[in-house]
Amino acid sequence: MRGFFRWASKWWPGLVPLAVLWGLAAWNATVPLENDLAAKATATLKDAILAQMRLTVAGRDVTLAADAFSEEGRRDALARVGGVSGVRLVNDETRLVPEAQPFVWTAERDVAHIALGGNAPLPAVKAKLLDTARAAVAGVEVADQMGLARGAPAKFDAAALLLIDQIARLKDGKITLSDTSVKLAGMARDLGGREAIAAALKNLPQGYSIADNAIKAPPYIFQANKDPVAVTVTFTGYVPDNAVHAALVAAATRKFFDEKVLDQLKASVGAPAGFANAATVALGALSRLSTGSLVMADREIRLSGDALYPAAADQIRASLGTDLPQGWKVKADISVRPAATPVDASVCQQLFVELFGKGKIRFDTASSAIDRDSLGLLDRLAETALRCPSAEIEIAGHTDTAGDDGTNQTLSEKRAQAVVDYLVRAGLPAERLSAVGYGSSKPLASNDTEDGRAQNRRIEFVVKE
Amino acid sequence: MAYLALFHWGWLAGALLIGLGMGWISVVHRGQPLSPAKLGLVAAVVAALVALAVAHLVPGRIGYWCDLGLALFAVYLAGCAVGTLLRQWVVSRYAAAH
Repeated sequence: MRGFFRWASKWWPGLVPLAVLWGLAAWNATVPLENDLAAKATATLKDAILAQMRLTVAGRDVTLAADAFSEEGRRDALARVGGVSGVRLVNDETRLVPEAQPFVWTAERDVAHIALGGNAPLPAVKAKLLDTARAAVAGVEVADQMGLARGAPAKFDAAALLLIDQIARLKDGKITLSDTSVKLAGMARDLGGREAIAAALKNLPQGYSIADNAIKAPPYIFQANKDPVAVTVTFTGYVPDNAVHAALVAAATRKFFDEKVLDQLKASVGAPAGFANAATVALGALSRLSTGSLVMADREIRLSGDALYPAAADQIRASLGTDLPQGWKVKADISVRPAATPVDASVCQQLFVELFGKGKIRFDTASSAIDRDSLGLLDRLAETALRCPSAEIEIAGHTDTAGDDGTNQTLSEKRAQAVVDYLVRAGLPAERLSAVGYGSSKPLASNDTEDGRAQNRRIEFVVKE
Repeated sequence: MAYLALFHWGWLAGALLIGLGMGWISVVHRGQPLSPAKLGLVAAVVAALVALAVAHLVPGRIGYWCDLGLALFAVYLAGCAVGTLLRQWVVSRYAAAH
């Protein structure tokens, strides 16, 4: 054993080549070793949730700089790197991303851009929100202005994704999610967009609430234009649904007895309350004008045109003031058409016959109250009567044979009188007018068919020279 | 350690060969042996380096080179010991035969 130690004390010259070998090894192996460790550490952190991760390897020591989203995730990442075989030390330069209080996320849109701002809780959520925004609004530039922060409320993703769908429905505007309260402002892209957004917001995850919904919709427009030259009345714009559409067109066909109804209406949600009533009243007013246009924008009605005679202009203004549903505003710009040239009595009779050929005066069932749909025709009759100042006119009421003769006689008289009263209000002298009831004594057609009875129920104007 | 051995096996094998060679030579070598004082100094230096390496006190690349050097040195010593014992065995058999 002593010999062994003696020999061992002679091993030192070998240290010289060993030192050379060491130097060579250090020269050649350092960079490959560092690269190998970096690759392994990166691989082990592949599915770790970190932001701005930076790995640097010096010798066998790894420095990990990253933003973690929880204390647990931070420790886990450090432990994983420390567990890589060959790693000697892990220098911890990780930190937790700051906690946002309150946690605010925003989506802002103008026509060609969408900017997502505020905070997202995780990089994956951020990427998903951006992808969803790009998919929801094709062809619009999506800018990412989101930072990362902790402190997002539960179900943040679901809420934010739902709000991105809503930003797609806006033309411009801003949606702000602050913790669990949502604020919306802006202009909906389509008519009905505001209602669609309000409906979608009901699906927000539990606990989320709407602090302020200031989404505006484009005005709900309904337009009608009466053109006396083309003898048409053209409808454009929107109606709430098919039922209202059909009802309005049917009413228009009765009111505009002379004109062809050109229907270019489209159905859309978003109509203001009382739309159908307001449209009926406004169309009634339009039907009494010789030429005119009606624009309904939200709850504002603008009617302009020419009435047939001065009293009609006053009546139209007054009825718009009283008959419209509550909350509707009207701006009537009604002038009076210059009086037509006078004609003699025979021409007058001819004009009456022509008018009755196109439409008839209707009354409520078994009553002498004039149906409002007939006011347009009555105004044309009154205007014609005003053109023949010398003529005396008999207003003759007729009924069908249904019911008791005495009742029919009375009804025909009352109806004729109602028309006379209307004409007097229109400015005709009462002495030129006489109301006569004929009951069912002068039928035009057989009373055996419904069609025939309808023809027999009538008012006629007979000019007496 | 296993990682170091696997990654540097070529260099370690080199150190082992140098050690074997040195051990083989040392039995019949007529050179000056290291005095016990110097031997003690070497041992003290090595012990200090081992302590530094175990405590992970030297950072970065220097720390790694220190580990590498110690590993090579350990393998070298093992090579020397094996070489010495082999040569001694060969020499004693030769002496017995003559």
